[in-house]
Amino acid sequence: MKATLRFARTTEMTLLVIGVVFFVFLVIASHGDLLEANSLRVLLQFLAVPVLIGLAQMVVLAVGQLNLAVGAVGGFAACAMGVLMADHGVPVPLALLIGFLLASVAGLLNGLLVVLTRINGFIVTLATMTVLLGVQYRLVGTRTVDAYPQGLKSFGSYAVFGVLPLIFLVALVVAGLLAVMLRRTVPGRQLLASGGNPIAARLSGISNDRSVIIAHTLSGAILGVAAILTVASSPGVNKSIGGDWLLPSFAAPIIGGALLTGGSAVVLGTVLAAFIVRFVDTARAEFSLEPSWVNFVVGTVVLGSVVLGQVRTRRQERRTVVKAPDAAVAGGVS
Amino acid sequence: MSAPVSETATAALHEPDAPVEQPRGGRTPWWANQRIGLLILVVALGALFGILRPAFFNQQLVVFPLLRDIAMFTVVGLAQMCVLSIGHMNLAVGRMAAFSMMITGISYDLWHFSLYAGLLVGLIAGTAIGALAGWVIARTGVNSFVVTLALDFLLLGLIPLVYTGLTDNAAFVTKPEGMREMRNYSLADICIGNVCGSPAVPQLALFAVIAMVVVGWIYSRTKLGRELLMTGTSVKAAELSGIPTARRVITAHAMSGCLAALAGFMLAVSTGSIKATIGEEFMLPSFLGPILGGTLLAGGFISVWGTMLGTALTSVIRKGLDLLGVGLESLNIYLGLILLVALSTDRVRTVLSDRQGVRER
Repeated sequence: MKATLRFARTTEMTLLVIGVVFFVFLVIASHGDLLEANSLRVLLQFLAVPVLIGLAQMVVLAVGQLNLAVGAVGGFAACAMGVLMADHGVPVPLALLIGFLLASVAGLLNGLLVVLTRINGFIVTLATMTVLLGVQYRLVGTRTVDAYPQGLKSFGSYAVFGVLPLIFLVALVVAGLLAVMLRRTVPGRQLLASGGNPIAARLSGISNDRSVIIAHTLSGAILGVAAILTVASSPGVNKSIGGDWLLPSFAAPIIGGALLTGGSAVVLGTVLAAFIVRFVDTARAEFSLEPSWVNFVVGTVVLGSVVLGQVRTRRQERRTVVKAPDAAVAGGVS
Repeated sequence: MSAPVSETATAALHEPDAPVEQPRGGRTPWWANQRIGLLILVVALGALFGILRPAFFNQQLVVFPLLRDIAMFTVVGLAQMCVLSIGHMNLAVGRMAAFSMMITGISYDLWHFSLYAGLLVGLIAGTAIGALAGWVIARTGVNSFVVTLALDFLLLGLIPLVYTGLTDNAAFVTKPEGMREMRNYSLADICIGNVCGSPAVPQLALFAVIAMVVVGWIYSRTKLGRELLMTGTSVKAAELSGIPTARRVITAHAMSGCLAALAGFMLAVSTGSIKATIGEEFMLPSFLGPILGGTLLAGGFISVWGTMLGTALTSVIRKGLDLLGVGLESLNIYLGLILLVALSTDRVRTVLSDRQGVRER
């Protein structure tokens, strides 16, 4: 336990150091322009949604599941909100609430399907992803819905002191709540126990099924918040919202040190990793390179960080166990 | 049985009380055989669509492209099936196709290769990139999901960079001799004596047949295939029986890359252009075919026929709904629902047949 704690701490420490060094490098490269209120605001503005989608994936990874439908759930909820406000004249708070609930219900459905049918979570979320993509397209078609009240848009672009965007603060609050929930509350601890070792969890009287359902529902709820922030901060919603969420949603937790087998809660790591990915994007803009470079770099970083992490755990294991069976080679994902 | 939480852990839990492999062959009652059910479903749906819309049987406009799609996605499904056989996944299946087609495009454009030489180069490139993924997985023991996801990211970045560096319009324009013809040729263009084939069957489908025969032969007749399946069933047991599991992991991923390259080539031929977006839509179908056809996600059981039938089912549904006037937007909804229903009923069927098996024992 102590070793894993120390390990987690070093992963986050490493990320923090990398992030700070990267940031300083960016500041120097931009001749200090990056420290201006406006550039900082833009930097943070586009960080809110990546943080949330990373967390949405992290929660399900913590219980040993995965959610391929992150983009579809978020995009569907965002489009539903947009259509409700623009076409049906639903008042803003009610529309946002409905969208949030829709996303949560979608997550709940994922969890229920996994538990009831015993089909692999990968396939279940692949199927719900397909369904929701269809629903999203049906809602908005090829148009861009942008005729929703100005008040919401100014909420999306408002920044405290002109530097800290409100939506970024919302994302941080969600991250904080999630961290407290996973660390301090009974359902959170049970969720991690189920992810870490389902057999032990069951023998200790924890319902693994309930943990799976809670994790998927939480994931949906976080995506609901992400959808609200997307609607508020983007000029309009269309069918492509959420289309590019899947890869970043895995990148952030994995760089942040989450274990695919479950049992790890790396809220801080996920947030820091989202920062680093955002810095890569900023650097790309700074040196006016092609957008493809971001994917290339992020792919390399993800691969590098998992390989390094694996090497580290292996070295630890070799110290404790004489010969570890190569179970890891099979590596089936649930 | 409890939660499907962590697959490895639950697998460990299952192993002692379920030593017999999934009862797919022999004792299984015929109605629990997934492939027969699939075949009946494909035929019935085909007939239904044909009755509702006689145009469904139009050889040139419907059947020909339908068979071409089925052939291509069968190869995509086989590419995924190869890694599923050892319990792995290949999320980069589409991007591997794009990568090898990029190499093929370069070989046509810069080195002026002939059609088949370029295909060969592409297959080699696909095999190499697949083997690379397998090597990283085997060497580091990192989950295949993560490795192929990261590789997907990497290629997603790399491929457009190469295209913008080497071409003007983000597509290789040089078409080798015979590429355009291959797109439209059907079996009617192949004659032995006076007997010609059906004009409804595209020549491209032959690639899928070859791939199915080769893959089927490897898995059913060769030591390599047995060893791959053993590795999928239980790495530990395979390792203890003297199977070089690390090498088998690399082999499976290399096969997957090679088949992905073939599928990319078939797509490039049927759309007539080699561009960076090849294979973007491969991910979902690559899982649909094998899984509907009974291939286990956990590894250890595959079905080449099932993969073909699963692919055929989704393609027939897609085409049929399209002809019935169901909009493009709703197709995805139905496909996702069908996937869920198909898998749930399969689950019910397996449970029922297991129960019957227990009673007989």
